Amino acid sequence: MKHAYNEVNLYNLAVIKESKRWSSQGLIEEDQLKNIEQEYPCSFYHPNIIIRILLFIAALFALSGVTGFFALLFGNGGEKVLPLACLIYGVISFALLDRILINQNRHYKSGVAECILYHACGFAIVGLGWMADFNTYVVLITCLLVFSYAAFRYLDLLTTMAAIGSFAGLLFYACYEADGIFQQVIPFVFILCFGSVYVITRKLKNHNHLKFWLLNMMIVEVISLLLVYAAGNYLVVRELSINLMNLELVEGQDIPFAFLFYALTIFIPLALLYVGIKHKDVLALRVSLIAIAFTVFTFKYYYGFGHPEITLTVAGALLFSIALLLSNYLKKMRGGFTRENHLAEKWANLNLQAFIVSQTLGGNQSGAGKQTETGGGGQFGGGGSTDSF
Amino acid sequence: MTKNTPRELFEKGLIREDQFSKIDLIISGKVVSVFYELQTLLYLGVLLFTTGVGILIYMNIGSLGHLISISALILLSIGCFYYAFKKGVAYSNESVKPVTPYFDYVVLLGALVFVSVAGYLQFQFGILNENLELVTLITSVFFFYIAYRFDHLGVLSVAITALASFWSVSISPQKWYSGTFFETANLHIVAIIFGVLVATIALVLEMRRIKMHFTFTYLNFCSLLFFAGAITGLFISAWWFVYLLLIYGGCVFAYLMAMRRKSFLFLLYAFICAYIGTTYLLEKTILRDAIEIWFLYSIFSCGGFIYFIIKFKNYFK
Repeated sequence: MKHAYNEVNLYNLAVIKESKRWSSQGLIEEDQLKNIEQEYPCSFYHPNIIIRILLFIAALFALSGVTGFFALLFGNGGEKVLPLACLIYGVISFALLDRILINQNRHYKSGVAECILYHACGFAIVGLGWMADFNTYVVLITCLLVFSYAAFRYLDLLTTMAAIGSFAGLLFYACYEADGIFQQVIPFVFILCFGSVYVITRKLKNHNHLKFWLLNMMIVEVISLLLVYAAGNYLVVRELSINLMNLELVEGQDIPFAFLFYALTIFIPLALLYVGIKHKDVLALRVSLIAIAFTVFTFKYYYGFGHPEITLTVAGALLFSIALLLSNYLKKMRGGFTRENHLAEKWANLNLQAFIVSQTLGGNQSGAGKQTETGGGGQFGGGGSTDSF
Repeated sequence: MTKNTPRELFEKGLIREDQFSKIDLIISGKVVSVFYELQTLLYLGVLLFTTGVGILIYMNIGSLGHLISISALILLSIGCFYYAFKKGVAYSNESVKPVTPYFDYVVLLGALVFVSVAGYLQFQFGILNENLELVTLITSVFFFYIAYRFDHLGVLSVAITALASFWSVSISPQKWYSGTFFETANLHIVAIIFGVLVATIALVLEMRRIKMHFTFTYLNFCSLLFFAGAITGLFISAWWFVYLLLIYGGCVFAYLMAMRRKSFLFLLYAFICAYIGTTYLLEKTILRDAIEIWFLYSIFSCGGFIYFIIKFKNYFK
């Protein structure tokens, strides 16, 4: 089994997309981009992101209409018929997506295609799960299989996340149900398991014949790292033990192996940071930044949340200074790292950034809004556009 | 796309050797840019710091330590602006490239801290006790000045939201979602007028070739406000037909903007709002009862829409 798309087109599309990034960064010229586009023709229907969103929404409404009709027809079918109907409907959706949309009309992540894919996954899972009376094992395994199939065959990223999520869920549930010692070792099982997933995926990334799954593998990598960190995090382990495993802690008592989890909470982010810098691995670097932030949060959570405003101020000042210093330090290239922007990220759009700034930083300017009755403002007045932090 | 692609392009003669050597360094991962990581850190730093300060400043009013911290904040703000004026380039009507990667965030920090302190001082000494709304207006004018002087899109967005909140209108999708949008009567009319006025100003500025890259931000906020106002009017007012015409007018405008600027975001607004408007119209007139009709409607309207977009795919790339 392989993916559903034409390989030449897939490769050409990737080349064109990458060349566009080079061109927008001034690395190559307009004419060269045109030549590359001619040399690497692509017949996929793959519109820009906004059109994709639009098509996704439209397809969602259209499909809900179709589903509604079927619901009217089969609504009285009863427990016997309905699960089978769901399953058949899901399978037909998969077939339509594959044969008509992708094969005939050459859709590639067009918005419509994603919508039908998720719709098909949903109905297949509900159908199969329903047949087994929604037994947790069956549901989780079905999720894992269906999502993995969708992720693998259609190179879809969201279902990749869902697949690895279901895998984590399955693993957790299996250990949880096994009771006794297995419940205790869940964190270690997770660390071992997703640690190996990470290592294997990193190896697989270098295989040329898997190049079309590169983005999927990157997602698997990031999520595995995050899961490894979460499994070793003191806060996560403690709260889950208390809430799910009915661990009761009296005053002065701590969870089993507490010191180990404290150590892991500190050690894993630092190790990731080291790996990120040493191997120039941006993914590990980014995950380590998130992990460091959560580690700080973990310690603040148990040792004094007393003055959030002071914490915020100090943390902000620290972050800002560190970023300034690092930025100055990387003025020249050091160890292959540079502060200059080489290639614009797909999601990095100046207008989007400005919008985020206005939505998060607009407030806390003045006490004025507090007394104006009509002020659409937030708690800190003025800007009227702040989150309540 | 693989690590060998740049070499392949080079061998086919599609890129030159100097370009190849530059691109290959990046693609092979020998050179790694931490630009976005640094930007995120700077942004989070500003976010946390100004939030913390915004709360801190109103606690323990009057004590000595407080006086010192206020002075420190004033100094910080002055420091930021000193840096900005000294390092930054002179004002230009064109887009200006920041001199350092962190220049924009220093300006942002300076402006936010300045406004926090100014707001606090006004609160403490009650200079403008009579009309507190004025504070918001002055704040907004200050932000506009900073945005234009230092060519700062982020501050510009803050300035526009502040200006809108002077007219008691909130430009925040989160607020609309939680239902606190337009709680006062007829605020949707204010939103519509505000949207039209500011959009007009933005277009005039663009025609005079003043900061043409700001127009998108203006128009984006204006269309959000305009459509939110018009749709609210459509649902709550007895004069819904007037609002429907307004929505259609706005959609035509947004469509033209989208085509002229090659910005599909406006196209998204136009289509969604036109769809909401038309559906409301049909609900009011022909499609009254029977759920089957609604299923048919959603299938045919959305299916037809998808067909239309794909049919004209060269137009809607």
